Order: sequence, then C-alpha cells, then structure tokens
Amino acid sequence: MVGKVFSNVASNYDLMNDFMSGGLHRLWKDRLVSKLSPFPGMKHLDVAGGTGDVAFRILESVNSIKRRALQDPLNDDLQEETRIYVCDINPNMLDVGKNRALEKGLGEDKSLVWVQGDAEALSFEDNSMDGYTIAFGIRNVTHIEKVLSEAYRVLKWGGRFLCLELSHVDIPVFKELYDFYSFSVIPRLGEIVAGDRESYQYLVESIRRFPPQEKFASMIADAGFQKVEYENLVGGVVAIHSGLKI
Amino acid sequence: MYRTVVNRILLTKNTGGGRRCLLRFPDLRTAVTSSRFSTTTEPQTSPNRPLNPADSSTSSSSTSFQTSSGAGDIPRQERKNPPAEYQGEQARVLQASLRHVLRLGWSEEAMIAGAKEVGISPSIVGSFPRKEAALVEFFMDDCLQRLIDRIDSGEELQDLIPSQRIYKLVRFRLEMQAPYISKWPQALSIQAHPLNVSTSFKQRAMLVDEIWHAAGDEASGLDWYVKRTVLGGVYSTTEIYMLTDSSPEFRDTWLFLDNRVKDAFDLKKTIQEATYLAEAVGAGMGSSLQGFVGKVIQR
Repeated sequence: MVGKVFSNVASNYDLMNDFMSGGLHRLWKDRLVSKLSPFPGMKHLDVAGGTGDVAFRILESVNSIKRRALQDPLNDDLQEETRIYVCDINPNMLDVGKNRALEKGLGEDKSLVWVQGDAEALSFEDNSMDGYTIAFGIRNVTHIEKVLSEAYRVLKWGGRFLCLELSHVDIPVFKELYDFYSFSVIPRLGEIVAGDRESYQYLVESIRRFPPQEKFASMIADAGFQKVEYENLVGGVVAIHSGLKI
Repeated sequence: MYRTVVNRILLTKNTGGGRRCLLRFPDLRTAVTSSRFSTTTEPQTSPNRPLNPADSSTSSSSTSFQTSSGAGDIPRQERKNPPAEYQGEQARVLQASLRHVLRLGWSEEAMIAGAKEVGISPSIVGSFPRKEAALVEFFMDDCLQRLIDRIDSGEELQDLIPSQRIYKLVRFRLEMQAPYISKWPQALSIQAHPLNVSTSFKQRAMLVDEIWHAAGDEASGLDWYVKRTVLGGVYSTTEIYMLTDSSPEFRDTWLFLDNRVKDAFDLKKTIQEATYLAEAVGAGMGSSLQGFVGKVIQR
C-alpha cells in the first residue's frame, strides 16, 4: 500500500505538500536542518527523503558563504568530504529528487548520493554516519522499532538522530479545527490536485495511527538514544524529535 | 540567599576528601525552561562526574505552554535517560574545545574541533541548546569551581582584612581569564545576548556571592544586595579594563582593581558610589544589571 501510494504521489509530492501545509513545510524543514547543525566533512543519511528537500538544505548550509568565512583554516578541504546519502524505498521519489538536483545545478556534485534502500534494513555500515534525519517518513514504515535501531546502528558516537513528523495536537479548539481540515479538506485537495483521493485519505489516517509525542520519544529512548527531546511546531501538528547516540 | 538555595537543592559532598563540588548548572537552567518527565532512576554517582539530582527535586518549576500560529513556536519537553552519561561526554567535548578557543574564538568551529579531538562526532555540537553560549557558560562554571577550590584550600585568606581578601579573590578569578583575553570580548558579547543574559547573570551573581561569602560577609536585608551590586560593579569594570590593558602581566589592571576595592570600602560613599559604578558598568554588563539597579534607585 505504501509503495503504491508513493508511486502515485511522487510526481505531485512537492505540490501537494505546499497545498496541505500552506507552504509551512519549508519552514519546518528549515528548522529541522538548523537543529541538526551540519558541518563540513559530515556524513549524513537522510532516510525516506526521496525528493531531496532536506538533503538540499543540508548541502546549502554546509556550503554557505557565511560558514566558509568562519571556517577553521586547517580544515579547508573538508568541504570535499561531505557526503549526504539520500535513501528511499521508492525509485520514483529518488528520480524526482535527482531531477531537482539537476535543476539546481547539483547534478555533478559528488556530495549527494542517491541510494535505494529500506529504512528497516539499511545497507550502510555501523558507526558510519554523523547525522540521521527522517522527515515525514517514519509514519509510513511497518516497524518503527526496527527503523530506530537501524538508525542507532549506523550513527557514530556523538551522532544525532532527528525526526520530523506529523504528530498529535492536544490543544482544545485547535484540535477540532485540525481534525476537520485533515479529514474533510485534504482528501478533497488530493482528489483535485493529484487525482487520487484514497492515497491522501491513507496519509491522513496514518497520521492518527502514529504514536503521540511522548510515546514516540520513549521508543527512541528504548532504541538506545540519550537526551531524547521533542519540539512541537504549530501546536503539535508537527514535531521534531531528536536523540543523541552517546 | 542564593547560596543557601543552591546549598539546599544542588550541593552535594564529594566523597573524595571533603571538597565542595559545585554542581554543573544544566539542571538549573533546563528546570527553568522545560518541564521534566522523569523515569524512575537512581542517579549514578562516580567521583569524577557531577552528580545528577533526583528529577523530582527540580520539578518544582512550572512550564507555561505558549503557542502561536506560526511555525516557529517552541514548547519543549525533555526526557532524561538512565544513565544520563551524555552530560559527561558533553563536558569532555567542552573541555577540549577550550583549547581551541584562542585560535577559533568562542564559536561552533572551536566546539567542532574540540569534539574531533576527543573522538566524538561533531554532530554533538548541535545538541547543545545555545552552542557558543554553552561553551562560555561551561568556562564560567569551571572558573567558579576553581575559585571555590582555592577558597577552600587557602588559609592565608584568614589573615587578611576583608578588602584585601576581596582584592585577592577577584584578582585570582580574573587571572583565570587572562589566557583567553584576546577572545574575551567575544565571550562577553555572547553573554550579553538576550537569550543568554539570564544564565550569565545568574553565574555572575553566584560568583559575587561566593566572593563575599569568602570575605566573611554577614549582611542581611538591603545591605546584602548593595554589597553584591557593588562587588559586581567592581568585578565588571575591572574585567573590561583588562580587555584593553597591555601592561606586563596586567599590572595596571590590578592597580585599578585595588583602587576600586578601596573606593568600595570607603564608608562615607556607600550607595552613591554604587550608583556611579553601576551606571559606568551598564554598557559592558548588559541591560539586566542596569535595570535591576535602576529599580532600586527609583525606590
């Protein structure tokens, strides 16, 4: 079901994201990357990041002029060693991402590596990644615990796990508005814009099935991470969970 | 007042030899800004690491949830895991980062270099809530701890009159900053940043409290505040004077300090002098102290 959903939605993914979140998803991803604090020479893994939104932001942050101006002069060539691996189970999403990279002029950039793979069984080595992000992907996996333990496995000592995901809203009036928006407006939008009501109905239901913030935080802690925190954005519509492997 | 609060809640005796161990402050800060959900844990003790208090003792702070309809609002919750060793690792990284400060300033780059030196992924730098401020605050705590150690071990302080004790202690404390003096203005500006000013104010208040306590202070009421304000002013002006002092081994700074301490002890000009000093210090110290003194004077 997940595979079919994303083959259907791949081409319109970015457009639908803009519609559903009113453009806010860009700010949420910016916040995710700023929390990550990327550095030159970083090895980063972005899982379920098919269309490359988070990866591009990380690359831009590492290559920014401001950062280059402040850099440690002894480490000038580290810029070259930055590697951002974008892993996705769906090849269509990866293709969209590769095309976007070409459009941005990053086609030849060897920092971006597009890998097809399953979040529950990563093909990367133990202790090889400085950072791991999963943006709007973890609610679609079958076994959240497996994904979390794989994340723990591939991260280095001191590495950080960050997860941006739609989450639960508890604020009284806002909750009702949000529910109405989710169940009435979004599937209709999906029907009009992408021609696919069922996929977006599935998406909205998967959000409700996903564990709430506290429960998810305890699952992350169970996988071995320390300093597990979460930050609610827009009252809980989106939450960024973070953990440290230390 | 502050000291007794600290003593009651946070202070623990180090089992190895009666040394007072000032607890690292992350707990105090996070208790103010976030609510805690504690899992039942026994705090782990080891002679070399700071002791974490049982979570229940610091959960008396309340959290206010503020939400706005933008994407940037932040009610934060934090969970501590047993055992919370990450603070030990973070402290190691910060300690190593201090060695790079002279070259790279009080910045993320210094912290990244420190992390690499210790063999931990530089991603850990992202886990410090206010990055450069964490480094500066760590240094301030470290200096305060060294000062306390010196006070505890120094017998010669008993033979001196209070003004001389204060002179020695302030000088000793400022000498700790001497190796970093070329980058100290950056540290001051980080401390004055609105996000960081409350923590740096608390640290300075503790410092001043500690020095007065060592000088044998028994004041109470308004006098307690006046004394600390005055010493805060003396300390800050000397600190700023030191930034532009190029005399060998900061001789001019110590002369300046000596004069200021003498002035402060002149019984005829107590509160008046405090006003002048505080106003002069206003620019360097940041707005928080200035506002506090202003309220006292207006009354």
